[in-house]
Amino acid sequence: MANPILAISDLAKSFGGFIALDGVSLELQEGEVVGLVGPNGSGKTTLINVVSGLYAPSRGTVTLGGRPLHGGPPHRVVRSGMNRTFQVPKSLGTLTVGENLRVASAHGAQRRTLEGDPLELVGLAGLERRFANSLNASQQKRLDLARALVTAPQVLLVDELGAGLSPAELDDAAGVLRKLAAAGIALLVVEHLMGFLAKVTSRVLVLNAGQQIFQGSLEEAVRDPQVVQVFLGG
Amino acid sequence: MLLEYAIVAGVLFGIFYAYLAIGLNLTFGALRIVNLAHGDLVMLGSYLAFELYYAWHWSPLLAIVVAIIPAILVGGAVYLGVAPRLARASDPEMMSLVLFFGVSQIIEALATFGFGSNQRSISSSAFGKHPLAFLGQSYPVMWAVVAATSVPVLLILFAYLSRTKLGRATRAVMASPDEAAAVGINVRRISALTFGIGVALAVGAGSLAIFMLGGVTPTEGVSITVVSFAVIVIGGLGNTLGTVVGGLVFGLASQLTLTFEPNWAALVPYVLLLAVVLIRPSGILSRTSRLA
Repeated sequence: MANPILAISDLAKSFGGFIALDGVSLELQEGEVVGLVGPNGSGKTTLINVVSGLYAPSRGTVTLGGRPLHGGPPHRVVRSGMNRTFQVPKSLGTLTVGENLRVASAHGAQRRTLEGDPLELVGLAGLERRFANSLNASQQKRLDLARALVTAPQVLLVDELGAGLSPAELDDAAGVLRKLAAAGIALLVVEHLMGFLAKVTSRVLVLNAGQQIFQGSLEEAVRDPQVVQVFLGG
Repeated sequence: MLLEYAIVAGVLFGIFYAYLAIGLNLTFGALRIVNLAHGDLVMLGSYLAFELYYAWHWSPLLAIVVAIIPAILVGGAVYLGVAPRLARASDPEMMSLVLFFGVSQIIEALATFGFGSNQRSISSSAFGKHPLAFLGQSYPVMWAVVAATSVPVLLILFAYLSRTKLGRATRAVMASPDEAAAVGINVRRISALTFGIGVALAVGAGSLAIFMLGGVTPTEGVSITVVSFAVIVIGGLGNTLGTVVGGLVFGLASQLTLTFEPNWAALVPYVLLLAVVLIRPSGILSRTSRLA
């Protein structure tokens, strides 16, 4: 197997005495999509926050294309070729849509950016002059994604893109993620909606209480007793 | 006739107040730090203008330009020195208030030590002896000079914020530091630069304050901080464009009361401040979107 583009090894994060993440490991190949699932509070967003540099890890390593990234500031992680979207996009609301992309391209893109118009890709074409905080929640999520894309990531961490989207929007979003994977971008997709996840990947990593309890195919996951116990109780 | 006089004077003072306060708002907007030493930096700027004029025989307004590089360097270095410590505090915003209150007291003590406690002023005849006639009233020519100096400074600042790479990055940090970092912006570096620019704007405004406030003493920093704070709250905390609106409202309210009810002059702008806080807490210009 080729060298992974993203390698997460034994990653841990604790806040005071609370262990939010404990010994998570994962490898992602170019263009590969992995779903990150788990109940609320299982550490999914913490994992994204640590990998993207927002929090420094308490233990473990993150390498991108073989280069260590863990503990670096978020802007350096972005410039190295990894970006993320937010579960609740706070958006650079006082900047226009066009300015959001310009600022991301000017500061975050160290390589050739994606071919084609990112706004068209996410369905925001024609809204360049709108202030970001005048967009609705679905549009803000799409802008968040477009902004991450103009930084030309090799790895994109997608935090609950599907939440709050209509069925038609979910289909569009899944299509966009498949296109990105086909373009060679590795995706780690946090998602609660299994139907949505099944449209973009067949491989999942399941977290519970900060620990990795399963890694493998989605089909196997739904038959795994520990995963079933975590999701259905009993 | 008195009404026209009060309105023209209010607008001229308002433009000055906007310049006086905008550095404070820029710093608050980007860093969430209320720089309680803001007025003391303005006061230092007034002394700089005084020294330039009497010791070097330069125009006092050159203080605006002379201060830019040193203020950005010193301000940036101070920010980089204190920010990591503030970030580790359990309540960084409260700690920043205490810290900059201390800085304010130190600057005041050093200014008293260096310049003495007597008031220093520059003769307004430095810019012409004849008053300016407008709409049948005459105004000190200095007021017009101050407004004519403040407007380009404000326009340059807004052009920087809306047209340049660093300015857009500054607005991104003002909108959300986390998301700004997520698009590759070095938030720490932009914050240091912004703090430096805030210091440069405060020192520069001092070259005008020595005329508009009738002179300078080492103790006037606190009252300048209070006026600046009122202006940015009225216009909208963290909203740089709102500072201009806040300055104009504060200037007009001050001059209208000074003209018609002088006994109330010290009170009315602050009643206005309370009214804004109660009725429209995010400031007059609290639109959902803003340019700068």
